[in-house]
Amino acid sequence: MDIGILTQMVLAALAAIFIYILIGFIPGTDETSVLMPITLTVVLSGVAPIVVLTFFIAAIVTLNLTNSIPTSLVGLPGGVMSSPMLEHSLFLKDKGLSAMVIKKMSVGALIGTIISIPIALILANFLAPYGAKLQEIGPLLFVLGAIFLSLIGSNKVLSLVSIIPMSILFMALRHLYWGIGLVPEDTNITTSFFLGITIGPLIVSLFNLLNKDIREGQLTKEKKKITIPDDSLDRSLNPLRILNKNEIKRASFAALISNFLFVLSPVGLTILIGEAVSNRIEDPVNRATTAITSMSALIQSTYISGIIIPLIAIGIPLSPTAVGPGGALFNAPPVFTIDNNLHHILSRKEFVVAILIGGVLASSITYIITNRFASRITTFVLKKIPHEAILALFISFILLLAYMDAGLINIFGVLLIGISCGTLNKLGVNYGIQFMALYAAPWIIEKLALF
Amino acid sequence: MDKNRQMVEIWGDIVDIKSLIVSIVISSITTMGLYFLAPNGNQMMELFLGLAGAVLGFIISSIIIKPKRIIDFENQDTNK
Repeated sequence: MDIGILTQMVLAALAAIFIYILIGFIPGTDETSVLMPITLTVVLSGVAPIVVLTFFIAAIVTLNLTNSIPTSLVGLPGGVMSSPMLEHSLFLKDKGLSAMVIKKMSVGALIGTIISIPIALILANFLAPYGAKLQEIGPLLFVLGAIFLSLIGSNKVLSLVSIIPMSILFMALRHLYWGIGLVPEDTNITTSFFLGITIGPLIVSLFNLLNKDIREGQLTKEKKKITIPDDSLDRSLNPLRILNKNEIKRASFAALISNFLFVLSPVGLTILIGEAVSNRIEDPVNRATTAITSMSALIQSTYISGIIIPLIAIGIPLSPTAVGPGGALFNAPPVFTIDNNLHHILSRKEFVVAILIGGVLASSITYIITNRFASRITTFVLKKIPHEAILALFISFILLLAYMDAGLINIFGVLLIGISCGTLNKLGVNYGIQFMALYAAPWIIEKLALF
Repeated sequence: MDKNRQMVEIWGDIVDIKSLIVSIVISSITTMGLYFLAPNGNQMMELFLGLAGAVLGFIISSIIIKPKRIIDFENQDTNK
């Protein structure tokens, strides 16, 4: 590995840190929709695969921590992953403890990163011999994944029932595009369908506004009232002084076990384990800070294990993180395909180097910046950035990627997916199930056709 | 503030419907506009310019539209 590549890796990590610090502080930005398009651009730009991986690792580590900040400062979740913390954050904010919460979050994130990188690497090594076998039965695993996620979801029956209709929808559009010669028959459009699923609930909310009766019912006269606490912080950056022993133990334990459950939904795991390690604590403040510290560690560890293990050991996106935000690392034609992606291109040593450079740079820089500037950055974002511009930004991402995948008709195709999947989502069929169904669709349709 | 203003809550924050439509139109135009400036068939440039357009639209919307938030500052005692 020469100096040129190393320099590129460091620069890529710094770029990711810069971009995702800015994005992370914006409330309500969905992880998948902000990670996927930018990672895809980096992949398509033709930089070395190892640089792509460094960029992505730095991006998730940075985004996961910065997303938590608006949650504690102003009570607006920075993204999907930080929503489990909301209740505890609001409770502590009412007690006037926001500044302390941010410190605990950042140390929690540090713990999550430090624990899960080595554990995920070890697990990946352990699973690697079975990788080829797992890959062979990949499509079946996606079906099982969809069924499994349905069974632990909030609307089990509807989730199970909707797997096949969703597969039909995805394959119907693909066959339409093949049939009219829009894309070659060996191209499976995935990226834009994926974002269609992600943006679905937003599309449904927007379309609801077009109905006069529903709109009248939702109108409000009130602006959003937000109180920003003053950051008269104690300047200590020593992680050991910010957390007590109990918090360190519980956060470490939470991060550790989540690695073994990398195939499950990161947000689900964060709620489940985060509540489990904290709910027996009697003192309410202590309980809330322990929950937040552990959740912050879990957000990092679920993402890191969810991307590292499938990348190194399996080569197909077999976890919600890999299938979602990290999708472009597995499948981004023409650069990466399911048979030739980072898994096949990088050696074990290259994986470790890229993950360490991305992870270490991102966690140390983000740690310092969030501790020093959290409330200044938040104030700037809330004062200057209108929510309208954020929603419009997402919509233009979708337009762009839909058009790039298969032209004008696909914009409406993605709209169709957004309306259908968004409606299902609001009824309790979560993202994970829908993403799994998208990957399982070819296999499901092939088997259905036999009967 | 004019009486015609229609505000709703979407995705955890308040938006004005008219401003929302304006910013969606602006972002769509800048995104697809820059996209079509890219040399034909160069996927990397198309994506790059498209994303640059999306960011440009985002900046324009941020300048012409005011956030619907009322921000207060409070002094807090870190030691509770």
